[in-house]
Amino acid sequence: MVMRISEGMKFNTLIGNLFKVQDEYNDLMNKMASQKNINKPSDDPLGMSRVMRYKESQATVGNYTSNIESATAWINITESKLNGVNDLLVKAREIAVAQSTGTATAQTRQYAAVSVEQIMEEMQTLANSRYGDRYLFGGTIMDGAPFSGTASAATIDTAVAADNNGGFDGTVVSGGAYTGTENTTYVIKIVSDDEVLADTQYQFSADGGKTWGAVRDDLADGIPVTLGDRVEFTFTEGTAANLAEDDVFYVQATAPGYYNGNGEELAVEIGKDITFNYSIPGESIFTDMGDGEVDIFETLADLKTALEANDADGIAAQLDNLEAASEQVNKNIAKCGTRINRLEIAESNLTDLDLKLTELISTTEDVDVAELVTKFSMQETVLQATYSMASSISNITILDFLR
Amino acid sequence: MSGVSALNVAKDSLLSHQTAINVTGANIANVNTTGYTRQRPVFETTGTIDTAAGLIQLSVGIDQIERVYDQFLQREINAQIQEFGYSDARNEQLGRIEIIFNETSGEGIDDLLNKFWGAWEDLSTNPDGQAERVALASTAESLTYMFRSSSDDLVALQSDVNASIEAMVSQVNSRLSSIADLNTKISQSETGEGDTNVLRDQRTQLVKELGELINVTYFEDESSSLNIFMADGSALVEGRNTWELDVRANSGNSFYFDVVFADEPDHSINALVTRGRMAGLLEIRDVTAAGYLGDLNQLAATLVQEINAQHQLGFDVGNNIGGNFFDETKTEAGTIEVSTDILADVNKIAASETINGDGNNAVYMARLKDSLTMNGGTSTFNGYYASFIGQIGQDVASADRTAVYHTTLMDQLTAKRESISGVSVDEEMLNLIKFQTGYTAAAKLTATIEELVDTLLNLVE
Repeated sequence: MVMRISEGMKFNTLIGNLFKVQDEYNDLMNKMASQKNINKPSDDPLGMSRVMRYKESQATVGNYTSNIESATAWINITESKLNGVNDLLVKAREIAVAQSTGTATAQTRQYAAVSVEQIMEEMQTLANSRYGDRYLFGGTIMDGAPFSGTASAATIDTAVAADNNGGFDGTVVSGGAYTGTENTTYVIKIVSDDEVLADTQYQFSADGGKTWGAVRDDLADGIPVTLGDRVEFTFTEGTAANLAEDDVFYVQATAPGYYNGNGEELAVEIGKDITFNYSIPGESIFTDMGDGEVDIFETLADLKTALEANDADGIAAQLDNLEAASEQVNKNIAKCGTRINRLEIAESNLTDLDLKLTELISTTEDVDVAELVTKFSMQETVLQATYSMASSISNITILDFLR
Repeated sequence: MSGVSALNVAKDSLLSHQTAINVTGANIANVNTTGYTRQRPVFETTGTIDTAAGLIQLSVGIDQIERVYDQFLQREINAQIQEFGYSDARNEQLGRIEIIFNETSGEGIDDLLNKFWGAWEDLSTNPDGQAERVALASTAESLTYMFRSSSDDLVALQSDVNASIEAMVSQVNSRLSSIADLNTKISQSETGEGDTNVLRDQRTQLVKELGELINVTYFEDESSSLNIFMADGSALVEGRNTWELDVRANSGNSFYFDVVFADEPDHSINALVTRGRMAGLLEIRDVTAAGYLGDLNQLAATLVQEINAQHQLGFDVGNNIGGNFFDETKTEAGTIEVSTDILADVNKIAASETINGDGNNAVYMARLKDSLTMNGGTSTFNGYYASFIGQIGQDVASADRTAVYHTTLMDQLTAKRESISGVSVDEEMLNLIKFQTGYTAAAKLTATIEELVDTLLNLVE
């Protein structure tokens, strides 16, 4: 069937084809400029989703790597401080050995006592080292130096109200004689709102706020309440305001000794659901509480006392303790080494993962430059041909041939 | 047989061919008029047949000036243009939505979510650190800003579409009244179709434009009026009468417009508008964009809920239990905000699990990114957003393909119509030559007959 061609058809077809070619040309130009195959979600919806998931994974890998770096720095410093501690212990042992023999006199022992005192001061400085704003060996307690210069008996500190409690204007007093064997933080959290003491409900935690006990309502004005290990809280009624919901009161209870920190370890994430403990609490290194077995400061203090008292047996008795102390420190130095190894392995795995993700993203998203440039010049040729055709098609009509 | 009657024949021929040339002239003049159907003079023999032996006088006349037009093709065009209008309108709006959510250049919600989780991780390595806290608050602010901005853009798009629908209704009404006008004129001109060709062309063009806007059905009745109906048979145009459309703000749909008949403003006819640009816009406004907004709101609400819940399990620098991290009264994508308490004092960010500064709560917060909180417990926040973007991409890509398909179809049908009804200058030129020859021959005939009559008259001298 022969088809009639009208003027309108000729030009419509021309314009239609021209636009199609230009559209393709434009698209290629876009891809050249951005070097990406996916310039908007509709270019490749599945690819776009995938790229987004890869980028999320990469960001996570970056986070874990950064955490590993922080932890590594902390552990390295810890290790170097512990090496210093070890050196001091070696010095102390030398003194003890020398002064426990028959060649020592009361005089040499006096001088030795002074040396031991200096060793103790240096030890305290090391034990109270900081990294940034935080104490290396305080566990998670950061608001005071972990080690004091003198031993204290079991203490229950003054009760502290949190900074932004409601307007309760009664008093809270802590009391009792702490019988626990480790330093603990007791926290009380008020559960009811705006009730008199007798009707107030609360919960308390014996681990700083991680886990909470059952709800209790046994508060009474001026009557102490026992929380555990003979730690007591006494509330007195306020005049203008009652206890508000979420009011927090806490107290640090310290076992006898030199240590003011606790036994918790700081942690960061280094992989999905993998928390990594990077700090070692002073409790495990310097004390006989928790994981520790020897109280280093007590040992040194006893050594000093024995030296001052010219007590040869007393001095000799400390030799075993000093040896055990060295072992304790070395054990923890080894722990640092193991942790560093683990972090290195984790980091190297993450680096590999990062590389693979970059590759995956690139495969999905980036253009193949050679292919693109070829397509582009082909399209340019097509565009030129279309233009040239457009110009010639309008030149020939029957009117040219009719006189 | 008389010479005079032969002159009549010549006269008829001259007049007919002159008319034919006029028609050709009209065609040539209208070569670029949109919607013009070429006209063709139909010659037919006229005159008496003499029953006596021999003499049969036949003359010529123009029976009609035919409009070369395929009404079945026109029906197909009108049906297809509704599909075209619908898919084109959808495609255009979806393209705009895609721009709002273009995650390829970074700094989109996905990017900011990742930065948000990262900020919590950083905080966990130094829980009391001021720099880390300020960075976290700032990142959270950027994230909420992005949510609000995306939501606002979507709502703005819906408003624009809403305004377009109102404008489109006026366009429909103006075409309806023009069609009714033409109906009157065409019905009144009963004298042969040649007089109404131009009017019919105008009416056909109007019907086509109407079809692009809204899906209608039509038929031509005995009085040559084109009657137009909605999908359920409600009349829009009947003869010279029109039933206009109007818009009514619907309080149940954010006060967006419902399409109604002007004389029945309480009865929404949105459901009858299924094709044409108006249907495309209605769908984008009420189904597509509303759906996307709903998904985004879901993401924002769950984020606020989960983050706040975990935040309230931790302790801040002042040893208080964590409050709300995000403002708990603002749970939509358009309103989400970091709590003013946190912004005023970054020390209120609860990074620790215990009173002492252990940073574990920040770790748990960061872990929420792996928690299956969305989609009934099957998807993480990032995963949900990634499939949300994927969905938009799919919708745009498929709308694009459909629009291209229908555009191509329309182009083909238009070409076919042009092939039948369009003016070809080549053809008209040749027709001109043809009719001119006929005219010249008729003139020659007249001259010859005059000579004959002259000869006859001179005989009787």
